[in-house]
Amino acid sequence: MTDDEVLREVQDWLAAHWKGLPAHHESFGRDPRSEWLAQVRDAGWAVPRWSRDWYGRELSNDQARIVERAFAAAGAPGAGQDRSNLWANTALAHATDAFKRVIVPQLLAGEVGMCLLYSEPGAGSDLAAIRTRADKVPESEGGGWRITGQKVWTSGAAVADYGMLIARTDWDVPKHRGISFFFLPMKQDGVEVRPLRQITDEAHFNEVFITDAFVPEANLLGPLNGGWGVLQTALAYERSVMGDNARGPRSGAGGPKGDHSLLGLAREAGKLDDPVVRQEVAQVIAWRVLNKLNTRRAKAELAQGNSSSIMSLGKLAMSRILHEEARVRTLLLGAESLLEGPEHPRAEDANFLALNAYFTSIGGGTDQIQRNIIGERVLGLPREPEVDRTVPFREVRAG
Amino acid sequence: MTALSHEDRAALVDSVRRLLADRCTEADVRRIMDSESGHDPALWRALADMGVPGLTIAAEHGGAGLGPVELELVMEEAGVALLPAPLLSCTIAAALLADGDAGDLLPGIADGSFIATVAFAGAGGWSGEGDVIVRGGRATGTARFVTDAAIADAVLIASDDGAYLPLHAPRVTPLPVFDRTRRMADVTFYGEVRRVGDAAAVRRALDLAVVALAGEQAGVARRVLEMSVGYAAERHQFGRAIGSFQAVKHMAADLLLESESATSAARDAAEHLAAGSGEREAAVALAAFACADAAVRCTKDAIQMHGGIAFTWAHPAHLYLRRARSAAQMFGASPLWRDRYLTALEAMA
Repeated sequence: MTDDEVLREVQDWLAAHWKGLPAHHESFGRDPRSEWLAQVRDAGWAVPRWSRDWYGRELSNDQARIVERAFAAAGAPGAGQDRSNLWANTALAHATDAFKRVIVPQLLAGEVGMCLLYSEPGAGSDLAAIRTRADKVPESEGGGWRITGQKVWTSGAAVADYGMLIARTDWDVPKHRGISFFFLPMKQDGVEVRPLRQITDEAHFNEVFITDAFVPEANLLGPLNGGWGVLQTALAYERSVMGDNARGPRSGAGGPKGDHSLLGLAREAGKLDDPVVRQEVAQVIAWRVLNKLNTRRAKAELAQGNSSSIMSLGKLAMSRILHEEARVRTLLLGAESLLEGPEHPRAEDANFLALNAYFTSIGGGTDQIQRNIIGERVLGLPREPEVDRTVPFREVRAG
Repeated sequence: MTALSHEDRAALVDSVRRLLADRCTEADVRRIMDSESGHDPALWRALADMGVPGLTIAAEHGGAGLGPVELELVMEEAGVALLPAPLLSCTIAAALLADGDAGDLLPGIADGSFIATVAFAGAGGWSGEGDVIVRGGRATGTARFVTDAAIADAVLIASDDGAYLPLHAPRVTPLPVFDRTRRMADVTFYGEVRRVGDAAAVRRALDLAVVALAGEQAGVARRVLEMSVGYAAERHQFGRAIGSFQAVKHMAADLLLESESATSAARDAAEHLAAGSGEREAAVALAAFACADAAVRCTKDAIQMHGGIAFTWAHPAHLYLRRARSAAQMFGASPLWRDRYLTALEAMA
């Protein structure tokens, strides 16, 4: 197929099918857009790079981008999930055939809600130190796995149908080698979800208490005790998405224009003539624009078939942008930032952004862990020694 | 302007890189910077044979007819190699002459036989110092910090209202420079001049100068980061490579972000210049301060990452620091460009 044929086909298809969506939707739980997403999936536009066996069209990267752009131009969601859908990509790469057949089409259409069950109170940055256990149920009792443990920082747990879970399956080998990766059915006795109040006063995350919950045999992803490798694929997707997007102000009063909203605030505050303010505002806007330019360069390098090390920088860059943007907003507001509540949306935004910046600088791996990753995987520097890397997990000292 | 394919661009950059690796080694840089003139005609000849001084000069004037995008990429390599040659000077001079009636000077610049540079005189020049007045066909006064003036065959004047060619040789007073790989001089004019370009040409030449320098700064940042990472991987202390310590590793990761951001900014500005885009002004301003700041930070921290060895004259790290610190003051320092950046954004908003 030529590029022009791809473009014509996708445009014709959109013209015939796309009628717009209900106005509001949630990002977790069963997606209210799923009827539309199922159509996109069945037409092969959801994952155009994938094989035809798996709802794809086997298009080249460039042609797939044509599809994505046509969807974006029409304002239609659902295309390009082969780059953005963490759940479907992980399942396609690692799930058993039997489970894949069931779950992949549902994931592409947003018919199942998902959550991530990685972090534990005692295993944050050192994720391989998890203590949630998965014990084999004897074949005589039907097989599968029994899970017991506690997870934290789980978005969407209350409405999720499945959680992507890492649990320890072998306690007698070093910590990275005894972990397995599961799709845990969330709607069962033994899975208790409790909201977690954050420093922003929101409860976006949950704690999940798991007591003798059951996972069927088919829901094991990747090899038994090979879960660490599966997790790495999944985390790579998450990081690249986090570097690209970050949540804006709570009230939206700062405007959705991102780069220029600081400029607007400076103007409103009557401080655009203050030379110190001008320097601060220009620098923060510059960091945001530089991050976009980096991302664009990375994508261009990838499109030319080269690997790109720039992609891994986005999350670290975004941390600085968010913390600094909040600082400069506060500087612009001055004493107004002592207040909050709906009558003071600008102050509420600045304060919310200052607190919520940690979502990016701690979540998905702290900036410090991110620097380790960049130093080791991108720049090729030697690894930080880990004293427990070769010790059987049973013997590892826990905090 | 000729448009090069991605492959041809890569080939161009590669051939410049190989030439510089061969003819502009650290030993060459030290030899040239210690020489009386700070200029090596043989190196300049080799670059001219490859068409480098005439890269952005139109084919009808003997150049390669390429644009800001190719120039920026070549300047990255010049930064990597710390090239001590009048490439920046000649490029700006050629841009100033491109549309005027002094096109007869361009073939000489393109083939390397004629070295030209530019005294920025408008509103005190970019340094805010100096005082050149062009009136009634005569120029009088002194321009400061003119690059390569002592070896130049002509020093053009870029004033607020246009470009001028002095008809008499000005008086050139070399300055004792911090970065010995880029010589500068004060230039005093006291006689008749010929108008060779309009205000738009001056504007275009300054934009090109800033983008070329930004590319050079991005190259400097990239090179010192490579150097530091290489060192951190092999230098052992406390029984392990220092690059395994988080304090060192984290510095390296931060410098990678700086260096890549500088490269993105310089390339983006070059693309906007080439396209004549309406966002040109903002993109050039962004590149000016982002690349200057990145080069200073990377060269500064590179010495810290190396430790004592880089505190010696024999180690090249200080040569890069000197280049970065000096370049960061040329054509206006970062605070000025940050302010201009915001002004450009205000105009676009």
